[in-house]
Amino acid sequence: MRQVAEGSQAVSEAVRLAKVQVIAAYPITPQTHIVEALSDFCAKGTLNARFICVESEHSAMAAIIGAASGGVRTFTATSSHGLAYMHELLHWASGARLPLVIAEVNRALGPGWNIWLDQTDSLSQRDTGWIQMYCEDSQDVLDSTLMAYRLAESVNLPVMVVLDAFFLSHTYEPVDVPDQGPVDRFLPPFLPRFQLDPANPGAFNQFVAPHAYMEMRYNIQTAMEKVPENYARIAEEFEIIFGRQHTPAEAVQCGDAEIIFVTAGTTVSTCRQAVNRLRSKGEKAGLLKLKLFRPFPVDFVRQILSGKQKVAVVDRNCSFGASGIFAQELKAALYQAESPPQVYGYIAGLGGRDVTPETIEDIYWQTKKADRPRTENMWVGLDQETVESWQR
Amino acid sequence: MTAYKDSKISLFLPHSSASTEINKTGSWRYVRPLYDEKTSPCGAACPAGEDIARIEMLVSQKLIPEAWETILEENPFPAVCGRVCFHNCEGACNRGQMDDPVAIHHLERFLGDEAISRKETPKIETRPGNGKKVAIVGSGPAGLAAAYFLARLGFGCEVFEAQPEPGGILRWGIPTYRLPQDVLDKEIDRIEKLGVAIHRRSPVTGEMLETFKAQYDAVFIGCGYGRAIDLQIEGAQKTINGLQFLYNIRARQAMSLNAKSTAAVIGGGNTAIDVARTLVRLEVDPIIVYRRRRQDMPAFDPELQMALDEGVKLKELLAPIHIKEVAGDSASRLPAYAVTLQKMKVSTTKIEGRARVVPDGDKTESLQIDHIFTAIGAEPAGPWQNRPLTEHPALSLSHCELVNADVPIACGGDLTNRVKSVADAIASGKQAAIALDTYFKSGWDAVEKAVTGCRVGPGPAVSMSMYLSKKRQDRNPHIVSYGEINTHYFESAPRTIAPALSPHDRRQSFLPVEYTLSKEAALEESRRCFNCGICNACDYCRLYCPDMCVIVEDSGRNINLDYCKGCGLCVAECPRNAMALKEEDL
Repeated sequence: MRQVAEGSQAVSEAVRLAKVQVIAAYPITPQTHIVEALSDFCAKGTLNARFICVESEHSAMAAIIGAASGGVRTFTATSSHGLAYMHELLHWASGARLPLVIAEVNRALGPGWNIWLDQTDSLSQRDTGWIQMYCEDSQDVLDSTLMAYRLAESVNLPVMVVLDAFFLSHTYEPVDVPDQGPVDRFLPPFLPRFQLDPANPGAFNQFVAPHAYMEMRYNIQTAMEKVPENYARIAEEFEIIFGRQHTPAEAVQCGDAEIIFVTAGTTVSTCRQAVNRLRSKGEKAGLLKLKLFRPFPVDFVRQILSGKQKVAVVDRNCSFGASGIFAQELKAALYQAESPPQVYGYIAGLGGRDVTPETIEDIYWQTKKADRPRTENMWVGLDQETVESWQR
Repeated sequence: MTAYKDSKISLFLPHSSASTEINKTGSWRYVRPLYDEKTSPCGAACPAGEDIARIEMLVSQKLIPEAWETILEENPFPAVCGRVCFHNCEGACNRGQMDDPVAIHHLERFLGDEAISRKETPKIETRPGNGKKVAIVGSGPAGLAAAYFLARLGFGCEVFEAQPEPGGILRWGIPTYRLPQDVLDKEIDRIEKLGVAIHRRSPVTGEMLETFKAQYDAVFIGCGYGRAIDLQIEGAQKTINGLQFLYNIRARQAMSLNAKSTAAVIGGGNTAIDVARTLVRLEVDPIIVYRRRRQDMPAFDPELQMALDEGVKLKELLAPIHIKEVAGDSASRLPAYAVTLQKMKVSTTKIEGRARVVPDGDKTESLQIDHIFTAIGAEPAGPWQNRPLTEHPALSLSHCELVNADVPIACGGDLTNRVKSVADAIASGKQAAIALDTYFKSGWDAVEKAVTGCRVGPGPAVSMSMYLSKKRQDRNPHIVSYGEINTHYFESAPRTIAPALSPHDRRQSFLPVEYTLSKEAALEESRRCFNCGICNACDYCRLYCPDMCVIVEDSGRNINLDYCKGCGLCVAECPRNAMALKEEDL
């Protein structure tokens, strides 16, 4: 049924439909609406789950790790400092091969204290062994959350569904919320491949010596490599049941494009508009939407971008001392590609600053004018007066 | 390592069905939790050293007879003290810093009355006879307590009482609206059932004391202050002695008081209050005249407040200097008096922490009154009762004195106590019993150490249970403070108020002013107690232990040190500070 819903509601509706059994959460803006709605579902009985109130995000993650070890489907949601606080257990969850799903609302890290959009919180967790999916709109959020459970359970790795603070979490737009029947067909009950069993006592994840640790890690890497294939299969089933198509990455008007934007999250929608405008002016602009970040869709990226002239990456994050993180990843993926394009890395819209179609067009013209990237990270829309004030 | 294979993907995970008990995580520990029961502030404040935190715990667990027996370990008079004690314990109660102190005296009264109504026979430790005989002079709270504790320690006890009935001040000095006679009789009965002989109408003289030395192995003197202090002013012979008045009322001897007449009660102690409240019940209109201020009164303030509620008036900073007979009401044919009162003022110097008052120049006022009662204190009736045999070695303890004169002679009660209260009198009887028992077992030199060894916390109260080497002996003397209570475990709850007669109804009769709590109310009130410093088996230590190291055994809880990592969660969670963390010797 089509509803007008917040991105946060899209998550909670998906979690309800996924018949999650244990939720543990600690509130943090802008994530709180998600778990508020879920606790409401639990109280009303529309979701038959145990909702555990914990004293921190570290405990929230620990609680769902425990629950998933017991063989149930779980959920939590967090943001920014909350995710940072979970960091230790993010490694544990993937190492323990638990198919957890969490919603992570991209929010800036302090200081300065800021509750608005910034991707650095989730991207700085890229090496924790989690699958990461970046959503463009509320429908994407709902669909990705449902698919996340299938994907996580198919490879025994945890999935982070990432959505932009406020632009997605608090923005109302039409969302098709499916009925329970089709969801049940798409997502059968969780069948754990291993679980704690009081009748057959045993311990998971104890001491592993050098003779086996590396194999254990290699096992995680092979599972990650299996993700694109599984994603494709799951997306196919999803399309049959729900009629919507999803891909790890999406190429928009890239065929003849001379400059291709690469970005993730709600900025994709802004780029779609900018590309259309530029096309109407006769410019050959294109767009590559990154949905999966881990595993990075290397093959897809090479296939689309090989032989192109210029790529403009819009990063709403920064790895200080290097560059935007999507740009880094893209450069790494293209290094071994045949005739790779020039990669222009732009940093924009940190801490909730607007990235408008005009910003994107501005990036386009800058890229078009240049014969090679001036620096590894070009900052867009800085207030020059402020910058000069501290340089004086 | 285990490989999980199926069509989708292989999983390579560490999984073992071997017990993790092989990993003795206790070796990581550098601090060790331990069950470290401590002293509750109430127990340390109680002159009789009652184990109040444990008593309230037992009530909350519905172990009513056990709670009562726990009082009897330290005090033979729960039903009496539940009524007349000034409950120092409640002033010290940590709960008072959260909302209101636990109504400890109501619970004590409930336990005492419950046992009386169920004709309960206590199961308390009594040692076999040791062949020693003790003569006890006076059957007030000190003498009867001495007899009770000595009898339990195996002594043969004979109590000598001048009056026709035992009880001393409890019987003759405390009016029935505070302490009904049958309650007192039942508690004295229980002491007699221990084999204590009470010789009624047997006043002791100085000469008899000499013969006691030949007939008994020891003597306890607890005869109190038998002689009231008289006013030393002109016209003092017109006054009525307050204690004698209370005695007459209890002995049902007629008093020639006219209804609707007025009376002045000179004094500021509990006797003055009791005299005034008794007069109110005889339809006399009393005024308490005190030379200091209300806050300086030795009387317990709640008692004074009840008196004021009942219509007693109070005049402060006035001292009588002259009494003159004047013509009274012509109808009554009784005389009336004019009392000249010197106005007093507070001086800047203090004596014993109390404000000193001095005459305010020659300012006086006159009071026209029908009767004058005095209640300005009392003193020993005979010279031999007043620290008699000073040429012999003597030991002065917190509540009693021991003199080694041919046979050991112990003095207690008001003769030796700084605070003249029933609870302190009981404390002196107990302390004397411990002192005498130690004397006969280990000699004179061992006495002081033995008495000190069974102190409750750092205070003066001594515990018989500790003397008898019961579990209470192992408690840490540290007194638990409010800051050491984990108050997250407690919700604010109002203190139980016992049903009571209205001030108007109180004036009509000598019926008890307050009622005993119902069982339901008592249970509810007991649950307000933090049980400071003692384990009540709440099990939060066990619930919070991340390593499941708290083991429940018959003897209590213990820590499995093979696995305890010393995280200290149990100690932090313990609501009542019954645990401690100790550094390991590394």
